[in-house]
Amino acid sequence: MNRRFFLHKGAVALAGTAALPNFLVRSVLAETNAHPGRRLVVIFQRGAADGLNVVVPYREKNYYAMRPTIAIPQNRVLDLDGFFGLHPSLASFKPLYDAGHLAIVHAAGSPSMNRSHFDAQDYMESGTPDNKSTTDGWLNRALQAEDACPCARHRQEHTAFRALALGAQVPLTLAGRIPAIALNNVNGFSIAGRGPAFSPAAQAFEAMYADSGDRILHAAGDQTFDAVKMLRDANPAQYAPATGANYPNTAFGNSMRQIAQLLKANLGVEAAFTDVAGWDTHQNQGGVNGQLANRLADFSASIAAFWRDMGDDAGGITLVTMSEFGRTARENGTAGTDHGHANVMFVLGGDVKGGRVYGKWPGLADEQLNQGRDLALTTDFRTVLGEVVTHAMGAENLNAVFPGANLDPARFLRMT
Amino acid sequence: MKALRGILACLLICTLMAPVPGTAATPAASRNRGASPQQLEGDQRILQALNRFTFGPRPGDLAAVRAMGLDAWFEQQLHPASIDESALNGRLARFPAMQWSFRDLIFRVPPNPLLRQAMNGRMNVPPSGVLHAVYENGIYREQQRRAGKFNPPAPAGPPPATQPPPETGSPAAGQPDAQAMALAASMDSLDGTAQSDAILALPPQQRLDRLAAMQPPDFEAFLRSLSPRQRQQLTAGMAPGLAEAVEDLENPQRLVVSELLAERLTRDIYSNAQLQEVMTDFWLNHFNIYLHKNELMPYYLTGYARETIRPYALGKFQDLLEAVAHSPAMLIYLDNAQSTGPHSLAAKRFARASFRRPRLRRQQPPGLNENYARELMELHTVGVNGGYTQADVIQVARVLTGWTVERPLMGGNFLFNPNRHEPGAKKVMGKKIKGHGEQQGEALLHMLASSPATGHFLSQELAVRFVSDNPPPALVDRMAKTYLASGGDISAVLRTLYHSPEFWSASDYRAKVKTPLEFVVSAARATNANIENFQPLIGTLNQMGMPLYGCIPPSGYDWNAATWVSTTSLVDRMNFALALAANRFPGIRVRFAPENANPAMASPQQQEAQLERLLIPGGVSISTRSAALEQFRSRWANAMPLRTANLTIRPNGRSAPPTPLEREDQMLAGLLLGSPEFQRR
Repeated sequence: MNRRFFLHKGAVALAGTAALPNFLVRSVLAETNAHPGRRLVVIFQRGAADGLNVVVPYREKNYYAMRPTIAIPQNRVLDLDGFFGLHPSLASFKPLYDAGHLAIVHAAGSPSMNRSHFDAQDYMESGTPDNKSTTDGWLNRALQAEDACPCARHRQEHTAFRALALGAQVPLTLAGRIPAIALNNVNGFSIAGRGPAFSPAAQAFEAMYADSGDRILHAAGDQTFDAVKMLRDANPAQYAPATGANYPNTAFGNSMRQIAQLLKANLGVEAAFTDVAGWDTHQNQGGVNGQLANRLADFSASIAAFWRDMGDDAGGITLVTMSEFGRTARENGTAGTDHGHANVMFVLGGDVKGGRVYGKWPGLADEQLNQGRDLALTTDFRTVLGEVVTHAMGAENLNAVFPGANLDPARFLRMT
Repeated sequence: MKALRGILACLLICTLMAPVPGTAATPAASRNRGASPQQLEGDQRILQALNRFTFGPRPGDLAAVRAMGLDAWFEQQLHPASIDESALNGRLARFPAMQWSFRDLIFRVPPNPLLRQAMNGRMNVPPSGVLHAVYENGIYREQQRRAGKFNPPAPAGPPPATQPPPETGSPAAGQPDAQAMALAASMDSLDGTAQSDAILALPPQQRLDRLAAMQPPDFEAFLRSLSPRQRQQLTAGMAPGLAEAVEDLENPQRLVVSELLAERLTRDIYSNAQLQEVMTDFWLNHFNIYLHKNELMPYYLTGYARETIRPYALGKFQDLLEAVAHSPAMLIYLDNAQSTGPHSLAAKRFARASFRRPRLRRQQPPGLNENYARELMELHTVGVNGGYTQADVIQVARVLTGWTVERPLMGGNFLFNPNRHEPGAKKVMGKKIKGHGEQQGEALLHMLASSPATGHFLSQELAVRFVSDNPPPALVDRMAKTYLASGGDISAVLRTLYHSPEFWSASDYRAKVKTPLEFVVSAARATNANIENFQPLIGTLNQMGMPLYGCIPPSGYDWNAATWVSTTSLVDRMNFALALAANRFPGIRVRFAPENANPAMASPQQQEAQLERLLIPGGVSISTRSAALEQFRSRWANAMPLRTANLTIRPNGRSAPPTPLEREDQMLAGLLLGSPEFQRR
């Protein structure tokens, strides 16, 4: 059944009778709640981040042997648990970890042995490693699964903003049956000026696309005009970043700031996606300082600013990060790292059991490496995402979200 | 409301005085997926060819091809040397620096690494003249940047209409900070304005000499003191070489980036050898390179398009592949320039040296870098399913060790360095690589270029670019066959495409959604725009997610509709269409010459039909046409003046404010360029 319709009828029924099933009463009442359910923020680090220098296994002797020029010295890591330490550029993550909001899963990632960025990104975004025929994304299917679940925890009417990508395009992660919108600049998202009413030009465009027989453009047009109107009414510009939320003036910082704006404007965002590029450090990657350090500083400062900016609403948010694969355990011949295997994921949330590094550590001795060259994989990324979507979206049918993964909730890491 | 519109549309059609161009947009109605798909005929054939083999028809192109004959036109496009490019060359003359060799360019428009060398005394600053000032100013800016004080002044010329995304690591334009503005204000209050006006009033050569004679801090302060209008006057009336020199004084690195992008757009929009430019764009994307890989990359890219890609764009693929493999731009972008054989002479020397010098022992010995090796197979030749393994990637990386770039700041040519080459035999995909040293790389490139997998991979990509998102496999196979039979001749493959019934299938008419680049360039062509400032187009492409040379990963952009149809891209396209048509981009002028200058004589339907013929010769749907006309209905019915709320025309020195009729034309044109029909090709 269409839940939108269902809730609508439910609201009407509520006025007339007390004989309602409990879950329906809860759902309808929650519609007016100031905390409209959980929201999921997904961040993709494109280019394969070097997980071993992000969350550093600084007690591993072989780590230093394999990385003579790019290793992070023991006395420079930000110690997490006596074995792992954060790269010093992740300083703004440390308080989140200490406060128990930030969880880390190491040696996680896609089981695919494919070392192509583009295939591996597709596999991770579709949620079906090594299956090229999947045309939709795991996050879109998670929203579908949420709809299919009678105990769904989101109580808002679905809006055009339900599935949101910050950027010029809808990524594969969000592609699928549930319409997703892409938006790269909140302030520029209006047609022919930003007046309170649609200009004649905007009206003409709306009519053109509404009446168009062009299936693809017609659908995109409908969504566009819906979203433009909603955004105009919500006026997200009024949500200036909270005090202390200092976003870096970078593409990623701007994306995170705008996600916060849109979440705070109560537009009905349930799932937001953005990505951050520049992790493909084949050459001159740097150690405590340098290329990767700069990326990490931007990455962590933007996420920490977002968290602070969300203030009281942060409790309802779950944020998860991923990258298509890790990098070689050994430094290559050009002071960088080549394409590897397992990586590290971050999970940040109001009720995430953070302050811990999850996952089984496979070790870095030569014989423990994947194909003799990379960090081995011990946690399938779908195990992490499965737990996240179960928790944040109430999606129950995980087989629909991650077909073929045979996820067993009993084997979740219990981060939530 | 809908019904009303329908009735109105019907009325409009019935009363049309001018003939309506073919009511396209409905070929799918008579779709026939049988063995011989329904074929396009007449003008639709010509438009199909113009939409696929050019960046979009200009007004008059349809008639010109009709007169010449379609087949003759296509053959001419395959032979670009025979095409008159005098108009294009006139426009390219505005970018003299883009014709310089890498060595000249790097010396005369010094990039930041060269300025740092000069700053540290490792090279001599030119002793006198404008070039001396270029170096002195550059060194001063570098020192300021080091001290954390430097905020580059806003770029010369009008500000971009849309804000490009901030580019990490690139010293691109920023905004003056509060401190700088205060400084500018204080200069104004003293004698700044009068002094600035006096300098701006000098004749061009004297103006340049005066700017070059300023001490670097004074020059920076002078630039900050200028109003946006004054900044435009800075190079007013200057010949291209002088204007470049002024920009060189300001920021050489930025000059190269902006001319690199402007030159590429100039060719896409104004070249008559359109197929050559379409294919150059195709190969620049196939062999993608990211502009901001490092500070020298914009310099390498000027030669990359000119010497590496364009001359081979319609030739043999192997020549193209070899040119790319020898290009400093690619060797640096994909890190092969540093890759060193673990058993090479260079590695052995390092080992010996580190034995004597313990400090070196902390360094990783030089070794392999797999980046180029992998993408050479995955993206450039056989494709990800081309039958190679990780072991093959390592073998290819070993083959290519030693393919590097000689000292970049001293010329930056390709160099095969035998000392870095990994000795010994190599086997790739089961085949032994012949020869030794550099020959091995040549043999490898030959093997890859002549592989059937490469023929198929390239044919598929070409068919997606030229036919549809899901091209018929039979067509791709036929093209791949031609590839092998012709020794990888790109023109021959395109000819096979052109002579295949699948290319002329009515069901694939307007099947492709334009990418942002195709949309922006086709709009500029359809409107015959006169473009003196490319920043608005560059900014629009940035905003739409398709910056020129701005794709970070080596995959390049893809050609599928799903990538480019999104809410935000539609908003951007509609706004761009309205702004372009209404002349709201500074430095870009379009003009729709009305056939009938007397507004009383022009019926709205005539106006619309004329614009439609001009901008979308294939025609638009009835609903699009009536939606465009709808808003003018009440005015026409009541003889009211047009509402012009969104049509604030910025003052423009050259042209008079538009007449009411012109404003209507602008609005109609903007609506047509933003219509669903114009989003397809």
